[in-house]
Amino acid sequence: MNKLLFFAGLKDIINADHLELNLAGKTVKEVKAELKQQYSDLPLESVLTAINEEFAFDDDIIEKNDVIAFIPPVSGG
Amino acid sequence: MTTNRYSRQILFPQIGAAGQEKIQKKHVLIVGAGALGSSSAEMLVRAGVGKVTIIDRDYVEFSNLQRQQLYTEADAASRVPKAIAAEKRLKEINSSAVVTGVVAEATKELLEQYLMDTDVLIDATDNFETRMLLNDLAVFHHIPWIYGACVGSSGMSFTIIPEETPCLHCLLQKLPVQGMTCDTVGIIAPAVQIVVSHQVTETLKILVEDTEALRGSFFNFDLWTNEYSSMKVGRAKNPTCQTCGTERTYPYLKGENKTKTAVLCGRETVQIRPPHSKKLSLIKLADSLKKNGYKVIVHPFLLSVEMEQNRLVLFEDGRALVHDTKDVTFAKALYDKLLG
Repeated sequence: MNKLLFFAGLKDIINADHLELNLAGKTVKEVKAELKQQYSDLPLESVLTAINEEFAFDDDIIEKNDVIAFIPPVSGG
Repeated sequence: MTTNRYSRQILFPQIGAAGQEKIQKKHVLIVGAGALGSSSAEMLVRAGVGKVTIIDRDYVEFSNLQRQQLYTEADAASRVPKAIAAEKRLKEINSSAVVTGVVAEATKELLEQYLMDTDVLIDATDNFETRMLLNDLAVFHHIPWIYGACVGSSGMSFTIIPEETPCLHCLLQKLPVQGMTCDTVGIIAPAVQIVVSHQVTETLKILVEDTEALRGSFFNFDLWTNEYSSMKVGRAKNPTCQTCGTERTYPYLKGENKTKTAVLCGRETVQIRPPHSKKLSLIKLADSLKKNGYKVIVHPFLLSVEMEQNRLVLFEDGRALVHDTKDVTFAKALYDKLLG
């Protein structure tokens, strides 16, 4: 299983604290596309994605037990 | 007396007397005098930084007082420009610091006047266009700069050391079209202070030349949900980055990536056109503005919002008309407050 964390306002869009999904073997890009289908309001085009607290690219492949975090860059100051 | 004043900071071994001496010779440039800028300016001036320059285009409003710690009710009542109110208060806090408040929009030309002797550049802005400009300028002039932003109970910070770390452009290849801002989703003051604590600590490390101690990772938190993360970003450094890669074009130093503004003839209206057409979700924006007490009318292709003294009409492609003003800088400040 994979744990998906959502930061800064993204939680309100998915209406949950986090998600648990089985994503092993999929790319970050594929995961984003799946999430977008279910939650069309998620601004995933510009979020930073981390796998196990390390910056991830769209074509990185997710492994068993990886923790994935979506961090939308915020602009308030 | 000077020793006395900084004695507790000098006792901190990583700073010490030698570090304090360095701090007092350095110049920090802060872009933005809102919540982040107020707080970091106050900490740095108290810490004894020799020269602090703070740039802001806006004036103080009552809705700022909950978190923008340099300002008073009197400043809001008389709508004092933030840079002026900040300079006055900072000089009261530490009369030996050279504090300069600059009331202006942070453009390339303006920033370059102050960058030449800047040791650290602190981001306290409220929009990504200015941040990308800061990023290009900092890399071009080889000055460390510290990204910081907050909204709701969340925030983030990242220290950019040109030629060493990835730059903001490496991390954000695509700019958010509709950044979450304090005016749309609100903000609590503790979130500001967490961001500033990280920005100022990193600044102190650079000022005392202890760069080994820099964090290196992208820090991100949500205070309300008790989540903290520190993302390693070394692999994000992009060799083809237009800002810090091998073939640099510094795209944000050029005009085409700048928002265009124009005062419309015969009308008290400023038009604002973003450099690239956006596809805004007007319905969603209208909802969050309504939740924050704004009077909003929304149609499929345009949104009209009553601000304190002005009406702003926003189109789906990101173009906006700010009515009841001819002041371009003021109009752009309103626009960035809504869209980030």
